[in-house]
Amino acid sequence: MSDGSVFINQNLLWPVILVGLVLWGVFIWKEWSQRKERRFWVKLVAAFLAIVSLVMIVVRPSTLQKSTSGKGIVLTEGYRPAQLDSLKSIYKRIQIEEYTKGTPLSILKDVDSLFLLGQGLAPFDVWRLQDKPIAFMGGKKIEGWTTISHENKIPFREKLHLNAKHSNPKTGHWAILADNGGNPLDSVPFEEVDEQLIQLNAKPKASGQFIYRLLEKNDEGEIISNEPLPVQVVDGKPLKILMVNTFPTFETKYLKNFLTDKGHQVMARTQLTKGKYKFEYFNGASNPIYGFTEENLKEYDLLVIDTDSYIALGRSSKEAMEEAMRIHGLGVFIQPNESLFRLTQRLSPFQFNRDFITEITLGVPVQSAQKYPFEFKNDVRTQKIMIDSVQVAAYVPMEKGKIGATVLQNTYQLVLDGSEAMYANIWTQILKSITKEQEQKIAWKAITETPRINEPFEFEVRTSMNGIEVATDEGVHIPLIQNSLVPSKWKGVKYPRKSGWNTIKVSNDTVSKFSYFVFDKNQRKSITLSERLKTNYWEFGAQKDFKRIASSSHKELEPISPIWFYMILLLFLGWLWLEPKLDN
Amino acid sequence: MGAGAIKQFQKRWQQSKYLEGLLYAVGFGGFLYLSTHNIFYGILGLLVALGIAFWFLKPWKISSENAVGYIDAHVPQAGFSSGLLLSTGNELSDLSKLQQYRVASQLEPVLSKLRPPHNLFKATLAMFGLILIGLAGSFMLTKFGNPSGGNSSNTEQITFAPKDSLSTTVETPQLIETNIAIQYPSYTRKGTSNTTNPNIKAVEGSRIIWNLEFDGDVKEVEMDLMGERIGFTKTQESYRLTKTLEASGFYSFTFKDLDGNDYVSDLYSLEMVTDEPPMVQIEGLDNYTYFEFDDDKRLMLMTNISDDFGIDDAYIIATVSKGSGESVKFREETVRFDRAIPKGNKRIQLQQPLDLDALKMDPGDELYFYVEALDQKTPTPNIARSETYFAVIRDTITDEFTVEGNLGVDLMPDYFRSQRQLIIDTEKLIADRPNISEKDFKFRSNELGFDQKQLRLKYGQFMGDETEMQAAPGQVSSTENEGDDDDHAGEEGEEDLLDGYSHKHDSENEHNLVEEHDHESEAQEEEEDPLHNYVHNHSDPEASTLFEKSLKAKLRDALSIMWDAELHLRLYEPEKSLPYQYDALKIIQDIKNSARIYVHRIGFDPPPIKEENRLSGDIEDIENYNKKEEFEYQMSFASTREAIALLELLTQDEKQFNNEDSALFVAAGNELAQKAISDPFTYLKVLQGLRDLEKVANRTKENYKEVQKNLLEVLPEAEDNPMKKAGYQDEINLLYLKELTIYE
Repeated sequence: MSDGSVFINQNLLWPVILVGLVLWGVFIWKEWSQRKERRFWVKLVAAFLAIVSLVMIVVRPSTLQKSTSGKGIVLTEGYRPAQLDSLKSIYKRIQIEEYTKGTPLSILKDVDSLFLLGQGLAPFDVWRLQDKPIAFMGGKKIEGWTTISHENKIPFREKLHLNAKHSNPKTGHWAILADNGGNPLDSVPFEEVDEQLIQLNAKPKASGQFIYRLLEKNDEGEIISNEPLPVQVVDGKPLKILMVNTFPTFETKYLKNFLTDKGHQVMARTQLTKGKYKFEYFNGASNPIYGFTEENLKEYDLLVIDTDSYIALGRSSKEAMEEAMRIHGLGVFIQPNESLFRLTQRLSPFQFNRDFITEITLGVPVQSAQKYPFEFKNDVRTQKIMIDSVQVAAYVPMEKGKIGATVLQNTYQLVLDGSEAMYANIWTQILKSITKEQEQKIAWKAITETPRINEPFEFEVRTSMNGIEVATDEGVHIPLIQNSLVPSKWKGVKYPRKSGWNTIKVSNDTVSKFSYFVFDKNQRKSITLSERLKTNYWEFGAQKDFKRIASSSHKELEPISPIWFYMILLLFLGWLWLEPKLDN
Repeated sequence: MGAGAIKQFQKRWQQSKYLEGLLYAVGFGGFLYLSTHNIFYGILGLLVALGIAFWFLKPWKISSENAVGYIDAHVPQAGFSSGLLLSTGNELSDLSKLQQYRVASQLEPVLSKLRPPHNLFKATLAMFGLILIGLAGSFMLTKFGNPSGGNSSNTEQITFAPKDSLSTTVETPQLIETNIAIQYPSYTRKGTSNTTNPNIKAVEGSRIIWNLEFDGDVKEVEMDLMGERIGFTKTQESYRLTKTLEASGFYSFTFKDLDGNDYVSDLYSLEMVTDEPPMVQIEGLDNYTYFEFDDDKRLMLMTNISDDFGIDDAYIIATVSKGSGESVKFREETVRFDRAIPKGNKRIQLQQPLDLDALKMDPGDELYFYVEALDQKTPTPNIARSETYFAVIRDTITDEFTVEGNLGVDLMPDYFRSQRQLIIDTEKLIADRPNISEKDFKFRSNELGFDQKQLRLKYGQFMGDETEMQAAPGQVSSTENEGDDDDHAGEEGEEDLLDGYSHKHDSENEHNLVEEHDHESEAQEEEEDPLHNYVHNHSDPEASTLFEKSLKAKLRDALSIMWDAELHLRLYEPEKSLPYQYDALKIIQDIKNSARIYVHRIGFDPPPIKEENRLSGDIEDIENYNKKEEFEYQMSFASTREAIALLELLTQDEKQFNNEDSALFVAAGNELAQKAISDPFTYLKVLQGLRDLEKVANRTKENYKEVQKNLLEVLPEAEDNPMKKAGYQDEINLLYLKELTIYE
């Protein structure tokens, strides 16, 4: 190539030569009458040289010279034309290439440093520029949603929390969270700010795989944008609960009724007298329990024990209980009475401060609940259980299991006052945080945030199983890469074929399926752009200069100044003009 | 000859005017017809517009002179002489004749081609314009209009669709005639209404008769009323079902053709309107009316009664109560209105004087009365009653009988309480001041002052203020006390006679109170010093031991405050007196409370139990107690919630519709129907949607989405329930938690 590109206007070379030859031919024909004379030959040579210099003026020959200006511009989506123009005015004849997703950049061969304009390269293309010094200039301001984040998988009966950022919101517009049917669930009006953080909540009404919607509506109610929010709502399983009491209380009775009504398997033991108990089996529970052993506790998900029983636990019982918590993840809830708050650190995992407040208010409409005049002492391990941002209980993790307690008392009063919903809410919040989790063998995680058709979708699998095989719906196996430091962590890539829900499953475990949602090209546009921008900033930095000095080994064609050819032309034309006059 | 041409021209002109008028008329008539769809209005409009147009245009008024004028103005050849053509030859001079001849010959060819002035083009435009407007109007009406008026009963028809897909060759029987007759209960006097709209709204107890006629052969026709299947009976050509409306709900029809294919109709609502009970209002009467003994004891009772269908009867229930306390006696009477009640009126106004004397009421008696009205509903009429009104004849004497009705233990004697009563009376007096005469006000203020004095004297007794005591009984007389319920009248001589026989319960308890003594002994031993039993030193009031030192000082304070209170009352300044009264009350309360200590000091001290015997009973016979119970837990609207998830799968083509799904939708429908009874219209759309999914033709994505949306809209949130979550225990997390656990 370097040989061929001696002329700058290489493409004009042959037509110009042809025209020159014709011109010369015409000249020869004109002078043909003088062919016997010597000056004919002299004129011929002069005319030839004149024409050659004319040709040279047109085709512009050049010479290879060392150059340090091997810069190029890569234009990506959303670049600012003004920026490009000012770059062009600084660097004349700078090479420019527009970037298309997934295709190699030919410019890379010719340049040693690049200006990157616009929102940048797709994350999976970033590697293409990795060995070049890059000045990433950024692009136009992104308008619309820049972040949408929410839980992809939530337990049924719990709230879906949506956090979103909207860049350049217009006042009068609304952000609306709508369910899969399109019924609005929550909304926030836009404000006059650069970027607005929006939080929306809703409680799904059914379990399943749904596509909720984040809508932007203008003041006339027209939909401006409509982003899908793929959500999996998973219903849990009923619990197996063991309740142990020294004597019956209303608190226990109502809690027991609540749990059994809700279909949980409950075994309640109340001491009648020394060594004699009242056993109540609900919803299929069986087998009386006298002393705790690891064996008989491990099948339970939750142990509800009153303070007196907890204090009176023998050494072996207590050890068994702790073992069941540590190894099997048993949740233990201690029903408080006054003596719990005075237990020493050796006996109780919780420490309390007296706060002299005997009543707290919860919920909308506000309801008051009675409480012991104590509060949990803050501790590294103590985790708060909150209802409406009021701490009602706390738990301490014990390896897999948890042990918890509350400061509320006489919550059954809420039921008597007719607020069963509040009662249910309190106990659901407390117990669900403490209870044993069903152990999954495989955990999935999507690394690519917005998967799209024919773009790499990276995912992560965590499993203690060895040699798992992952396959797509169509039964195609996906190879996994094991993490070198954490052997239970695997990584894979899939190129989705269709938009909407896609699934990946483990071929040797049919239960574990991973559903992810593939967006089509009109969805989440602004988010992809803002993600891309973030990746590019992260990768190339925000500085507008090159990090390294460009290497000077590059050679570039430098055109020969046409003034020489003009002079030759003038000289010979002058000769041709002067010669007949001299002759005369 | 020329005259003929002009005549012709005149005729043409007239014709064109007629035509113009006709065009306008047709346009207007067409407009009316199209917008009303009534040919009668169309013709009427046409005729009217024709008349108006002709009246305006007056085509018959175009005379030959007009024609001549027009020709002269527009045809140069006429030379302003065309008028000559109309004249007969012998009237004219020779020159005129010559001109007539000339003009005639020149006009001959021109005149036949001359067109009279007309606006035909404009008229045509107007006609088409009007017709177009009419068309647009009728289109708009049919599209957006259809207001409830007019032919609304024809808006909905029963439509059937096959439940399963059919081969195209099967001929589906068509419903050709629907008639729903609603027979309102006879008392509503509404008669029978016929409709084809299957969404029925009728009064409770109406009989509804469905008459369906099919053109094909149909095997059995049934009505599905909220899961209950009721068969139609065949009468000749049609199927008939009669039902009395007892509750709101939904229904649909199903039938089978001869091949056994099922057809099902849409879901229709059946709304029951309950017959409202009558409204009874008594006007122009205070809730309480008081009469003095010598007043004219008549009440004028004005009653307005209204009902939605008709009033059957109304009367007054009057209850007279005689006596008070335990000896109260009631007597109930039904008083008919003098005027006969016109049956079946929707609104009546009644007047009735109530003569309390006629009800044999004596002073002190009370009358409670209200108006009761019945409507004509069968079999059991709705009964409504007005508020209760009271009429009281004031008693001339106040019976003083101070037994506290419900307190078994009356800790304190009455006069401790009466400071409060004084305050209440004083406040009442202040409130009443604008409404009563000056004399009355002063009288009552003075009375209160007297009462205050009485009270002070009573307390003075405790202090041993003997001089005051002597003065007290002499000043009290029953007449002065009249009209004021004063607790202290009990002490007066009048009552002494009764005391011998009456049995005053509250006095019995007073022996618990050491420092107090009962009224009786006090009243009986008026001459003696009432304190002689308790006081050690009679001569020195300061040395009485009735109260401890501080109490005595307090009481002394109270007495002096009472002096002030009395002073202001006597000066007719009850406002100024009030603060003193409150102070006095407060001090008396204190005294009362300190006196109470005596009562509360008495308690029960159980004998101590020997520690070694505690919890040492024999428990051998006590057995473990076992109890087993199962609760069937079903989340609220469980099937509906499942249906939502299923619909999502169906919309996304992840699943094909099968029979199980159909069953689930039916279950969801049943769940919602339970809730829908109370509010049929909100749920009709949802239930209809679910029902539609049974038909193959409706199983489209749009329908799935629509149904899902509607379901989500009506569904309440799931109730809270702690459930077991699934989670992955990462080994690194576990390691961290293990490090964290240094517990114990």
